[in-house]
Amino acid sequence: MQPVSVSMALPGQARQRVLRWVLIGILAAALLIWPLFTHDLFYTHIATLVLLYCIGAASLHLLVRLGQLSLCHAAFMGIGGYTSALLTTRLGWPFLPAFVASAIVPGVVALALGPILLRLRGVYFVMITYSFGELVRLLFNEWQSLTGGADGIFHIPPPHPFFATSREYYYFALVMAALCVGFTGRILSSQTGRFIDSIRESERLAQSSGVPVLRFKVMVFVLSCGLVGMQGSLMAHYIHYLSPGAFGFSESLNFLVFNVIGGMQTLAGPIIGAVFLVSLPEVLRGWVELQRVIYGVILIVVMLYAPGGLVMIGRRTLELLPIGRGGGS
Amino acid sequence: MNVMTWWTRAAIAGLTMLALALLTGALAVQADELKIGAVGTLSGGGTEWGKALQRGMTVAVDEINEAGGVRAGGTSYTLKMIMYDDQYTAQGGTTAATRLINVDGVKFIIGPVGSPPALGVVSVANPAGVIVLSDGYSAKILTPESKYNFRIQIPTEYFAPGMAKWLAKTYPNAKKVGFISPNDAVGQTLVPVQVVAYKAAGIETVYDEKFDRGMADFTPLITRMMARGADIFELDGDAPGDAGLMVKQARQMGYKGIIIQTGGPGIDEIMRVAGKLAEGFLSYDLFDPADPGAQEFVKRYRAQFTGPISGLSPIYYNGTKILVEAIRRADSVDVDKVKEQLEKLDGFHTLFGPVRWDGKERYGVRHQLVHDFFVSEVKDGKVVPIARVGHEN
Amino acid sequence: MSINLLVPIVFNGLSLSAIYVLVALGFTLVFGIMRVINFAHGEFAMMGGFALLFFYSQLGLPYWLALPLVAPTVGLFGLVAERLVFRPLYAQELPSMIAGLGLSVALADGAVVLFDVHQRNIPSPFDDILTISGFTFPEDRVVVMVVAVAALIAFWLFVQYTAIGLALRTVAQDREMAEAQGIDTSATYRITFFLATGLAGLGGALFAQIYALSPYMGLVPLVKAFTIVIIGGLGSVPGAALGGVLLGMSESFLNTFYGASMAQFASFGAIILLLILRPWGLLGRPEV
Repeated sequence: MQPVSVSMALPGQARQRVLRWVLIGILAAALLIWPLFTHDLFYTHIATLVLLYCIGAASLHLLVRLGQLSLCHAAFMGIGGYTSALLTTRLGWPFLPAFVASAIVPGVVALALGPILLRLRGVYFVMITYSFGELVRLLFNEWQSLTGGADGIFHIPPPHPFFATSREYYYFALVMAALCVGFTGRILSSQTGRFIDSIRESERLAQSSGVPVLRFKVMVFVLSCGLVGMQGSLMAHYIHYLSPGAFGFSESLNFLVFNVIGGMQTLAGPIIGAVFLVSLPEVLRGWVELQRVIYGVILIVVMLYAPGGLVMIGRRTLELLPIGRGGGS
Repeated sequence: MNVMTWWTRAAIAGLTMLALALLTGALAVQADELKIGAVGTLSGGGTEWGKALQRGMTVAVDEINEAGGVRAGGTSYTLKMIMYDDQYTAQGGTTAATRLINVDGVKFIIGPVGSPPALGVVSVANPAGVIVLSDGYSAKILTPESKYNFRIQIPTEYFAPGMAKWLAKTYPNAKKVGFISPNDAVGQTLVPVQVVAYKAAGIETVYDEKFDRGMADFTPLITRMMARGADIFELDGDAPGDAGLMVKQARQMGYKGIIIQTGGPGIDEIMRVAGKLAEGFLSYDLFDPADPGAQEFVKRYRAQFTGPISGLSPIYYNGTKILVEAIRRADSVDVDKVKEQLEKLDGFHTLFGPVRWDGKERYGVRHQLVHDFFVSEVKDGKVVPIARVGHEN
Repeated sequence: MSINLLVPIVFNGLSLSAIYVLVALGFTLVFGIMRVINFAHGEFAMMGGFALLFFYSQLGLPYWLALPLVAPTVGLFGLVAERLVFRPLYAQELPSMIAGLGLSVALADGAVVLFDVHQRNIPSPFDDILTISGFTFPEDRVVVMVVAVAALIAFWLFVQYTAIGLALRTVAQDREMAEAQGIDTSATYRITFFLATGLAGLGGALFAQIYALSPYMGLVPLVKAFTIVIIGGLGSVPGAALGGVLLGMSESFLNTFYGASMAQFASFGAIILLLILRPWGLLGRPEV
């Protein structure tokens, strides 16, 4: 284990580091304060959804960085959601243990399946995860005695009576999203993150330099699926209802689209992707008839003019600003 | 790759987006305009239902506005319909309702169609004190906590017993029924209710199969159903397009028995898909086309829209008129006053004849609209009402 | 199993297979030659349906003139899409996939705006029901099978015996080698996309004729094509044919005897097993 690069910072980079923390502080303060200035529950509602999707998008980013594009991420979100919804509504568990279970159960499923699924790479991994995701959705739909079938599960309680409205829930989601995204960021900036990148670049090379590739990939898969399971739980306890339709192929695709549209190179990508794409339908609501057509065209245009994702556009723009200079390495 | 540096830039980007989002809010409200919210599916599967709702409501809103709008409390209000997409999910329903209530300041919502979005809308609207007139077969849509939400489509448990009894009486030789229904909330909820109703009428269920939405080739299922000896083919729960395909395929395969759709009227669409093979098809129907009110509706609809008239359009046309009548009687746009008048609307004459509220015993709240309905038959390519059936209760 | 059940099941399985193969062929072709997973493939099938509606029902052209017009018409739209969306993104697997997804959404929902959402029926000129020794066969399904088989033979002859076909096969096998031999890969890409979307359009037209036509009908052909190429092997043309027949027949059998949900479980389960044991499919080649 090597010490993390922070301790080796040069004076110029130190100044930048201070600046970075100041900016993160401002962002954090803004995220904490803005709901106090609006009475409008709609904005806190959308912001809450954005925050929750940031968890799933960031968790899939771990797999994307590994070079494994999963199309069953929503299935694991569903497993987490159903776990926590069933434990609280059927067995009367309090939220906290149910929430913990909503990370553990998908994690265990991922642990069992990972060694099989992760042997495949590239488009084959895409196809097997697609099939597995559909199988899970069918299971949610068919296993009526457990899941309530297509009718879903009703009256899922809020985590705590205090978080009953979207404004309070927003803060809860903010904390959870910050923890989950921060955790993902820590992983990526540690030794583990370098292993992840080395596996993506060349599995064989990583293997020959002593990285236990498959075991490592399974570990990342377990973490990723556990995290998105937590999003499933947080969604269920926020919307108070869940049904199989919310965990199908199109939702899995959404997570992937967040990553691709935002940018797959850095963790900022999926976050920007989630912010942009979750709030986009709300911006487009004025054009009821054309909203989906515009959405489709935006996907095409972003891919054509910024195949590296929105982060690329942001990077180009920010490089024109003074703060963007000096960091290039 | 320096991850954290990009974080700082993401922070700035985030702040900018936040500021933009806040700026787009705050819409001006016109005093003499009464906003009616609408929620329905306008993208992906289920769009047909959202469009049907949108059209039925548009016809009603235009008709009311042409007649001078609605007068309440000394002001004459022009109705303005604001519709959002629910993507046929609970989350979509929640988002649409939250936006209608908090951004647009809507006090009355019509829709959505289907249980997941309806549950989403209701969970937001009831605590906010906003009236909802919706659809959705789930038993959980109307509960004792449903202070402000009403259901304006008759659910299966109301019409199935009467329809099954009529069928047993009219076709005494038909003893075996087969179901092919979608594997979604609609199919899963209402087929068990139908099975019980048919059983009570002395008709045995010999085949009950669910398909995943998107299936187009029903011949394997129909083959099996025919092998089981079904002489009634029940299409309840099937979207009109699917139902039309089933009628066509069953007849092509030489099925000679009765085909009936109890519930979810969509004869017009079924006839377009099945063509002349729809001959003899029986359906639950909501109104008599010979009725002058119905003719007025059809005329207005045809003036604005092309294509078949969905069975859902008249339901939401009716729902809009019921709401406006309650506002007129309350002489106010105050939610609680309107709700009070809405609950007292029994006997009001609509497109579907006189309506009344029910549901106290079943759901613990008297917010279920009921009215008489018909059995229609396709004869020589025309829809002919052949019997009027009252609901059970 | 009684012959009374067997005959309709096999007949139905064959008529399904015919359409499936047409649609899957184009999907696998685009992947095999261009390395693009075209998420908008189903929408080109949908366009084929609307093209047939336009030529046959609206313009009133004779059926045997209207149907052959469908494939080149959709193919031309395919060329436009290739130029605007896919060409700038060659060799970028993921961006091209997401752009294709965007195209799929834009086309399907654009069709809702243009044509309205309800399901339509293309009144078939072949609405007789043939009865042969007590079994009924809808005439339009027989016609669909004949057309599909004819189209597949024509495609096979084209690929096998023309210079363009040879170029396509060479590029599919090894793009760099093909370029080294002076084959214009960009031109072969255009031809590939034209053929693929044209075949999808024809498949969609036939689908619309025996089933129904609506803007969102593209999802089913896409999912089927995806499944078929997994079975047969991604990029393999004979694999698409074999996969199409296997899927059509097994759907027909499983749906009849075990119901629709069991059929779904079985097909996804089989695909997962196949991917684990033989990810390159029954007739594909393992990647080095």
